[in-house]
Amino acid sequence: MKLKSVSKILLAVLLLLVPLLFRNFNYGILICGFIGIYIIAISGLDLVFGYCGQISMGHAAFFAIGAYGSALLHKYLHLPILLTMVIAAVIATLIGALLAYPASKLVFHFLSLATVAFGEIVYQLVAQSPGGITGNFTGFYTDSINLLGFKISTNTRFYYFALVCVCGFLLMKHRLVKSKEGRAFLAIRENSHAADGMGIDVKRYKIIAFATSAFYTAFAGSMYAHYVRFISPETFSNRQSVMFLTMLLFGGTASLSGPIMGAAAVLLLNEGLRFAERYQMLIYGFMLLVVILLMPGGIYGIIKKRIDKRRVVS
Amino acid sequence: MLIQVVISGLVIGCVYGLIALGYSLIYKASGLMSFAQGDMLTLGAFLGYSFYGIFKLPFVISLVCVVLCMFFLGLFLEKAIIRTLLKNHVLPVYIVLATIAISYIIQNAAMLIWGTQTLSFPQIFPIPLVGVLGVKVQPEALFCILMSLVCMVALHIFMKYTRFGTAMRAAAMDATAARACGINVSFSTGVTWGLSAGVAATGGILLGPIYGVYTMLGAIIGRKGFSSAVIGGFGNMYGAIVGGILLGLVETCTSAYISSAYKDIISYSVLLLFLFVKPTGLFNEQALTD
Repeated sequence: MKLKSVSKILLAVLLLLVPLLFRNFNYGILICGFIGIYIIAISGLDLVFGYCGQISMGHAAFFAIGAYGSALLHKYLHLPILLTMVIAAVIATLIGALLAYPASKLVFHFLSLATVAFGEIVYQLVAQSPGGITGNFTGFYTDSINLLGFKISTNTRFYYFALVCVCGFLLMKHRLVKSKEGRAFLAIRENSHAADGMGIDVKRYKIIAFATSAFYTAFAGSMYAHYVRFISPETFSNRQSVMFLTMLLFGGTASLSGPIMGAAAVLLLNEGLRFAERYQMLIYGFMLLVVILLMPGGIYGIIKKRIDKRRVVS
Repeated sequence: MLIQVVISGLVIGCVYGLIALGYSLIYKASGLMSFAQGDMLTLGAFLGYSFYGIFKLPFVISLVCVVLCMFFLGLFLEKAIIRTLLKNHVLPVYIVLATIAISYIIQNAAMLIWGTQTLSFPQIFPIPLVGVLGVKVQPEALFCILMSLVCMVALHIFMKYTRFGTAMRAAAMDATAARACGINVSFSTGVTWGLSAGVAATGGILLGPIYGVYTMLGAIIGRKGFSSAVIGGFGNMYGAIVGGILLGLVETCTSAYISSAYKDIISYSVLLLFLFVKPTGLFNEQALTD
């Protein structure tokens, strides 16, 4: 137990010191910021897929709603950015609930089709918006986050902001999955008929899972928008939704650390493949296939299996 | 104007129908969904371009070659990847992701081999335009409609009246019972994947001369094919065709009379509408209830 808390403190110190370690390597801090964004987005997807067992292949849509919602609210209503981020995430939550209401009766394959269609509709709306308010394919410029006069404009500042957000969201997720709602999610994932028989309102909890997940991903989307300060439709295509799922499955579902490892591993791999730009997607496709064939439990699954085995031995 | 719109609607609708037919075949035979069907169409178009445009083979021979190649590719993918995953008893999401990975691989391999530019598929017929009811259309467009219909009828006859087709339907209906009757279920599922790849490739060759050949040709068509399959009732072969033609007509009419910007939104909205309101589709296919 003591060893565990020591390693936890060490990890916290290490995370706080990352910008110092990468002092002369701004690019590294940049990537760490992105990893933070993706951890939040994928933790959201994990709530609906890993815990509640409902697939979503259109989570890029919530990412887009968060990003564009926040950027548009800031530009046209001149609201302060942190407020717009929250408003955009709340809007996404409502849209998620609205989508989940009729979608909750669909089973796996058809839910995936419905979410693909939803993702495409949002993508098309963003890419060919009425009156061109989103800037369409030329993209949309926005500002960085302003915390009561303190601008989060450098990578280091954003890193700390993301670190706080990640901790907050993970804590929220931890509390949620340990609560009554979280147990209902698991029951629905394991057997929705049995859950229904035990008095769990399956439809209601599916909607809650979907809406919460939309909140997470949309907030991550708004972080992305104000980090890069430029958004264009390509970031929110169905490829992004597949990327989310890949990261989640690569890291391992239904855990706190799975999304963290998945986001970091896939993002670093993608950055590492940049040298072979022409072959990047091809290699990515092959890697995806190999991972699916060889390690269906993800990184978390492998580590867990190791630990379990050691426990059995000792 | 109207006739032109209807003809182009029928052309793209028939291709949607062919793609949806592939989805229905696969879903009926194995209860799975392939997201690589659209890229099979792309690959078919590229192979057709190579055989017909570069190697200068006669069109019929190129068509047969392409369909054979794609048939074996589909068979191979089922045997090598899908069957392995099924044997490992993985979650269904991994199979969906595997087909997406296959689609990325096909897309990007095609890009590396044939380049990023839109290639123009050489004409199939010596005359550039023919008159139909007072409007001039590409003969390839009419050929596309005709060939898709022939394809559908041929597939119908194969499934309904041949020994092997009957065995395939039996395997799809109840794998265990079919196995007890001495049907090689694993082989017939493989053939189903092969057939749907072949059908998609045919769609690609038919569409090539009209739309040109490029790497993203099938990506959108593949996703729209889902709409047509759901409209007709997922798993229903005739529903797939009817749904495809309906979707094609709706789409071209919206882009002709309202705005082309919204045609994609409309087809995906139709998909959502059907899923939410009438998931069994026009033909009341019960596949969705399980």
